[in-house]
Amino acid sequence: MTQRLHGIMAEFGTPEALVDAVKAAKRAGFTRLDAYSPFPLSDLAEELGIRTTIVPWIAFVAALIGSGIQYGTQYWMNAVDYPLNVGGRPLDSWPAFIPSTLIVAILWAGAATLIGLLLVLRLPRLHHPVFAVHGFERASQDRFFFCILSDDPLFESGATRSFLEALSPQIVREVPACD
Amino acid sequence: MSSEAQAVTSTVAEVPLTRRFGWIWWIAFLVSGALVLLLGYTLVSVTILGVGVWGVNIPFVWGFDLINYAWWIGIANGASLFAAILVLRRHDLRTAVNRFAEGVALFAVICAGIFPIFHLGRPWLFYWTFPYPATFEVWPQFRSTLTWDFWAISTHAIVTSLLWYVGLIPDLATLRDRARRRAVKRIYGVFALGWRGSVRDWAYHQRAYRLVAILVLPLILIMQSTVAFEFAVTLVPDWHETRQPLHFVATGLAQGLSIVLLVAVLLRWGLRLGRYIDEGDIDLLGKLVLASALVSGYLYLDEIVSALLADRIAQEATFTRMTGDYAGLYWTAIVYSILIPQLLWLKAARRSTIAGVFVGISVGVGIWFDRFSIIVGGLQTDHLPSIWRTYSPTLAETGLFLGTVGLFAALLLLFARFLPVISMFETRHDEHREKSS
Repeated sequence: MTQRLHGIMAEFGTPEALVDAVKAAKRAGFTRLDAYSPFPLSDLAEELGIRTTIVPWIAFVAALIGSGIQYGTQYWMNAVDYPLNVGGRPLDSWPAFIPSTLIVAILWAGAATLIGLLLVLRLPRLHHPVFAVHGFERASQDRFFFCILSDDPLFESGATRSFLEALSPQIVREVPACD
Repeated sequence: MSSEAQAVTSTVAEVPLTRRFGWIWWIAFLVSGALVLLLGYTLVSVTILGVGVWGVNIPFVWGFDLINYAWWIGIANGASLFAAILVLRRHDLRTAVNRFAEGVALFAVICAGIFPIFHLGRPWLFYWTFPYPATFEVWPQFRSTLTWDFWAISTHAIVTSLLWYVGLIPDLATLRDRARRRAVKRIYGVFALGWRGSVRDWAYHQRAYRLVAILVLPLILIMQSTVAFEFAVTLVPDWHETRQPLHFVATGLAQGLSIVLLVAVLLRWGLRLGRYIDEGDIDLLGKLVLASALVSGYLYLDEIVSALLADRIAQEATFTRMTGDYAGLYWTAIVYSILIPQLLWLKAARRSTIAGVFVGISVGVGIWFDRFSIIVGGLQTDHLPSIWRTYSPTLAETGLFLGTVGLFAALLLLFARFLPVISMFETRHDEHREKSS
């Protein structure tokens, strides 16, 4: 019985080689791809069709909600629930409510962006099949990894392996799935 | 590429991973640790005995508590603003100084936060500024700057620490992967949250990081203005000025930049990171400190012009600050924060470690005297003979201030000991770009 695979992974020494490998795999029709590098590669992200436009939307919507809640709270508490007359100023003294409304809008936007980032990336996840690959610790230092996932419709252990080997990587390894 | 990238990663990553760290670090840590103990002692004494142990009294209701609060916030804001601008401009300098500019900002906010909480008198009731359904059914008074301040400090602390941490995640993963001992690997591994460095992760990470850097810009302008509003919304003649927020923002920036310069020079010298924080970086930082000192100088002139145009009472209050019992503070501020940085016109001074340390400390000290001068000197003109007195800090206040300096230094030392002070992934990125262009 063969072991169930997460995918097959090739290791490269330069980002250029990684980019070429991704392009070749896309030409060959593979769709379930993942690439790992020690620093951001924005061209490659475009190549893989990754769109991050949800990030500013999360921030914007959170800022609207946060500022709405903050202004509403101040208005309701100081003008409706417990009207407080300070030196005859209007109960809804909006200029005085603005500073904390703006600050809380930023608080919501900032916290939502970074917490949302973790949710979108499904982190924290301390255990992942790729960590089992020998030498993968260099993905955070100076090596570039390219993985074709086993749920790709074209995936077929032997053929995919020889496809990757044809791209002249430093080494090709199988990534066992973890149950 | 590989071997070069490896070299960067190892120099920076070896710093936190090494077992021995040298006696200079230990001496510095013991000194700052002793100051942290002093901080604990003064905080316990003010909690048990009350604010009577401080030298504050009518009319000087604010003393060291607000002086040091405003000063630390200035450092935090200046450092944050600097870090955010570097990220947004994608400036090369960001690789070298961004991480510890964020660290400086975070530790300064922590120090700043201590003062307003303890100056409440009953610090354990600080949560009364938060609108929660209390049994006595009274809500906070949101027209008060005290409540604005509550939101501003807590937001600043949360957003700064999130930004700092999210920037650290990929580098924590590098430390996890390079650690030799299993326990160390586990600790960094947990904080790295399982970062794998997939291209998709990077794309989202960079987008989110830049977005929060954009948010920091309005945040610190509002935060520093909120500090200034605490003065501006009172009826005290010297404080009740619309120019107050501008003064605090600009001088706070000068102070933050000078502390970043100080820390950069010290780290470069102490950790031998000369190749990554190169002469050009330090030179540029020096020019920024000089430029911000000139802006501060302009604002001091503006203060005089505003006073000349103001009514007689405001005029008298401002000029008393410059000529009265506390005139020394005002002039010391000018010498230290505006005149001494002029040294940086000289190229040799910008590139020298000693001059960097000297000017960095000098601007920090100068702005501290400026805050002292505004807070105490601004209250000096009074027309009730029964409260004609002067303010001087007591030992409990001095100890509190020294204690926060110790806390700041201790946090920075721990940061330099256990975390990469330079963004390793940005450095790898830069070297790659240089090589391919």
